[in-house]
Amino acid sequence: MARNRFDVDENLETPFNIKHLLRAGAYIGRHKKKMALSLLYSAVSAAAALVGPLLVQRGINVSVPNKDYGELVLLSAVMLLAILVSVLFGRARSKYMISVGQEIIYDIRKDLFAHLQKLPFQFYDDRPHGKILVRVINYINSVSDALSNGIINFVLEIFNLLLIAAFMLICDVKLSLVVMAGVPLLLMVIVLVKPAQRRAWQDVSNKSSNLNAYLHESLDGMKITQAFTREEENAGIYDKLNQNYRRSWMRAQYTSNLIWVSVDNISTWVVGAMYLVGLCALGPGMQIGTVIALSSYAWRFWQPMLSLSNLYNTFINAVAYLERIFEMMDEPVTVDDAPGATALPPIEGKVEFRDVTFSYDGSVNVLENFQLTVNPGESIALVGPTGAGKTTVVNLLSRFYDLTGGQLLLDGRDIAGVTLQSLRSQMGIMLQDSFIFSGTIMDNIRYGRLDATDEEVVAAAKTVCAHEFISQMEDGYDTQVNERGSRLSQGQRQLVAFARTLLCDPKILVLDEATSSIDAKTEKLVQQGLQALLKGRTSFIIAHRLSTIKSCDRILYIADKGIAEMGSHEQLMAKKGKYYHLYTAQVED
Amino acid sequence: MFQLRWLWARLKGLRKKYVFALCSTVVLAVLALGNSAITAYIMDTIFRPLQETGAVGEDAVRRLVVMVAVLVGFTLFRTGFGYISIMTYENVSQKLIYDLRRDLYKNMQEQDQAFYSAYRTGDLMTRLTGDMDMIRHTVCWVVRQLIHCVVLFTTTTITFFATDWLFALTMLAVTPFIFVITLIFSRQVHPLYVELREKLSRLNTAAQENIAGNRVVKAFAREEYEKERFDEKNRDYKQANKTASLLWLKFSPYVDTLSQSLSVAVLLAGGIFLINGRITIGAFTLFNGLTWTLVEPMRMLGMHLNDLQRFFASSNKIIELYYAKSTITSRPDALLPQGRLQGRVEFKGAGLRLHGAQVLKDIDLTIEPGETVAIMGPTGSGKTSLINLIPRFTDATQGEVAIDGIPVRRMDLHKLRSSIGVATQDVFLFSDTVDGNICYGDSGMPEEEVKDFARMAAVDFAEKLPQGFDTVIGERGTGLSGGQKQRIALARALAVKPILLILDDTTSAVDLETEKYIQEQLAALSFPCTKIIVAQRISTTKRADKVVVIEDGRITQVGTHKELCSQPGYYREVYRLQNGGMEKEAV
Repeated sequence: MARNRFDVDENLETPFNIKHLLRAGAYIGRHKKKMALSLLYSAVSAAAALVGPLLVQRGINVSVPNKDYGELVLLSAVMLLAILVSVLFGRARSKYMISVGQEIIYDIRKDLFAHLQKLPFQFYDDRPHGKILVRVINYINSVSDALSNGIINFVLEIFNLLLIAAFMLICDVKLSLVVMAGVPLLLMVIVLVKPAQRRAWQDVSNKSSNLNAYLHESLDGMKITQAFTREEENAGIYDKLNQNYRRSWMRAQYTSNLIWVSVDNISTWVVGAMYLVGLCALGPGMQIGTVIALSSYAWRFWQPMLSLSNLYNTFINAVAYLERIFEMMDEPVTVDDAPGATALPPIEGKVEFRDVTFSYDGSVNVLENFQLTVNPGESIALVGPTGAGKTTVVNLLSRFYDLTGGQLLLDGRDIAGVTLQSLRSQMGIMLQDSFIFSGTIMDNIRYGRLDATDEEVVAAAKTVCAHEFISQMEDGYDTQVNERGSRLSQGQRQLVAFARTLLCDPKILVLDEATSSIDAKTEKLVQQGLQALLKGRTSFIIAHRLSTIKSCDRILYIADKGIAEMGSHEQLMAKKGKYYHLYTAQVED
Repeated sequence: MFQLRWLWARLKGLRKKYVFALCSTVVLAVLALGNSAITAYIMDTIFRPLQETGAVGEDAVRRLVVMVAVLVGFTLFRTGFGYISIMTYENVSQKLIYDLRRDLYKNMQEQDQAFYSAYRTGDLMTRLTGDMDMIRHTVCWVVRQLIHCVVLFTTTTITFFATDWLFALTMLAVTPFIFVITLIFSRQVHPLYVELREKLSRLNTAAQENIAGNRVVKAFAREEYEKERFDEKNRDYKQANKTASLLWLKFSPYVDTLSQSLSVAVLLAGGIFLINGRITIGAFTLFNGLTWTLVEPMRMLGMHLNDLQRFFASSNKIIELYYAKSTITSRPDALLPQGRLQGRVEFKGAGLRLHGAQVLKDIDLTIEPGETVAIMGPTGSGKTSLINLIPRFTDATQGEVAIDGIPVRRMDLHKLRSSIGVATQDVFLFSDTVDGNICYGDSGMPEEEVKDFARMAAVDFAEKLPQGFDTVIGERGTGLSGGQKQRIALARALAVKPILLILDDTTSAVDLETEKYIQEQLAALSFPCTKIIVAQRISTTKRADKVVVIEDGRITQVGTHKELCSQPGYYREVYRLQNGGMEKEAV
């Protein structure tokens, strides 16, 4: 799939199918007992509610003419009892339904989130984050009622419908058939409206996704927007998305509301038809009482039809959201534990790239037949032009992507055959984008090793010279840094991220432009601290500031899909090749 | 209740339509009785008499056909009117939230960095999605239902009193209790909804941060931990939802029992009144038949008040954003200099206090038009804070900053910012094409020009992307390397042809050769431009006309590369560190 933008609808190829409801059924299935009990309670509650009219009838026909006050009181007491039964059973049902509805969305959200954790970078790179967010939060909330109360009411109404249909048929087959003739008519309407309705609701979910994605991105990039004074133009774009959403919503309403209008009218037609047929057929085979009885049944027959049609609308709406949710849950996990993957034992640090070929998009190779053997404890620097593939090399090492060809071995084991958890948890990777979570600085550093003590966190901060500025903040390590660490300067963020990486006590350390925003003096101090730490650990360092990497055991100049030059700083300087050229660029003027 | 007043104020321009919709609900509530009236009429005038005579006359059939036609026609009219009514509600509520969204979006655009530090994206998203929907729901559903309830309740009550006051009174005796219970409930449920909203906001924030930080999560193999953390929020939200919903169940048995006990009152009191002859059987039937229309509104009242409380909780959050005022805006008497600015930047005793700490102190600095000034200093010394004062991302708390002699606070904000091209440290790119990102500040720019600026900033790599400059890059430019992102950000800043170019460590991830190329390009810009460059690399600073060193919020050194290299201080130390022996080797 090509990259998605805020203004591009994500078209769904799969046709409507009941599969989505069935899949949702799996979630409901976990609450079978509660669902069954709810159904039972609802039935009891409804039955108890039916007692009332019978008691009134008895009172009017018997007690009142007899002037029997005692019986009247007794009947009233029974009625009160029936009401209590009805209310309490109704309440019990509601209690279950609240619980089931909430549990279902909790479960779906949990599963969706868990799946999201397995999805590769590519997934996140390919679409606006707002579109992911809106599925995890808003869409899931939208389906709760349909999947709990909706289902129960559906069953009840069907039951209700069948019951009344049976009564009607017992009364008179001919007139019943007239009343029921409306059903195929209604089905026809539904069949006619459904495609438009479904498209309309899908469109609503698309447009709301677009709107929210743009909103999300706008909020995140507001500083840039303000800096470039693009507010008006963005407001225009938002306005258009806003309008599109409104239009799609209205369209969905225009079609959806046709359903109840149809039910209401069709029911009137068939009752009218029934009157006429009844009147014309009056005679020996048709009692006038039958017509009167059927007319009251007819209305009651169409009452559940109306409820069902409303439920139908709810389901159509919910399915539009469920499709999106399940679509994301079906998003393939491209990098996952291989079947039979084993845990990687503690890493010693030998790394081998054997004929590694890699391409992000399957067409252009970033690396071709890349060969490299790194011994335990060696420090390797990667230099070269931007975009040459330095980051790719280290990304492959952590198996953020799977190789297109070749093999990558760690201590002689193919990393494709070990569990991701055991691999990544032994590597310390510091990325270019030093993402800081909202929370305290302490929490952020501790993210590297969750069971680290406060002292260990402070020690890590000291190693990277972050201790000083942290202790100067108003709450020290407990200072809340905002989302993305916006309270810290870029350099400070890098230091915190650095401390976080060191804290996880990695066997292999990967620093990808880890110190680019840190000033030279601090960097020097950081390096001194690092020297001791790096002893015995394999490390990969990417940096443009060559002073950072001069002391590495081996320097690789990455260019043209592979290694152009390799050797120690001295060797490469003597070679007077690309590295030499790069290095001298700083003094040459 | 001020929330409702606020809402009414927002409905300006839609009020006529909305009042029509509200009236139509009243009419529809009455029309709903029409069907049963016509059916009853058909029964009474056509079928019941037949029961006695037994013969079907021509006349009866004809009359029935007419009546059925009336019934069908009436239904068509009623449903048609109902359809129009509902669509009016939908229309008004959609227009309302459309307007609200637009206004809020615009207000969000005016907020300063302090605001964005205080409100998390996830929280803002909750307000602009969930809370917004609650407002829609209220306008289009809750209010309608409330009116429906009130109309049913009043008409039935009036009918009852008109028929028999004592009987009516016995029936309505329970209503005060129901109201009281419902009100108590409504009061108790309010804090629960406030809580629920908070939990939703936290859930939203947790998901949002996890998505944004997905790379770090993977790098540390923290998926399980993230799941646990999210699970906690998910569970809290679920629990809060249950608690809020279950509260009603504590009250509903009383409300339901009381309201349904009206039927008991009908049976008992009605029966007694019938026996002692106070009422007729006709009156009894009327009361019995209409009990339902009295019970339902009372039962539903709790639900609707429940929704209304949710509305209050949500609308508070929206109103807060609606009236959020930024301190950084154009003053009413702001100056709007005509034509292109010169580009002289002056800091006059500027200082900045943030979070109780003095971030900048006594900054005095003049940058002449066309000059290139490099700013250097230790991590966290205040470099970014200093340049943030120029486009007014933050306002100086002491002293002032002026461009061409006009204090920035007095200059029209749009003019000020559109004269400045900024490439910030934390590169933010939009999920748009490379091309679209570069011309972000001037979207009408011809493609040729975009390419020119791209070339200047060494965005040549874009040619190699699958769709060249039309390749869509992910949000925050994910999928590109750090250096590539920085180069796009630089091209974007250049493309506005700024009078003042501010580069905040924009080339830190760019390789040296490319950086050198970029510097050459910057030196030969086709338009006059003052440049302020924050950098850590000597290679960047040494070409500058002036180097300013900031340490601990103060300017400690000012001079050219040569001057500063020859005097002891921070600059020389850094120079030696970075070039340690390099010159010797090169020679």
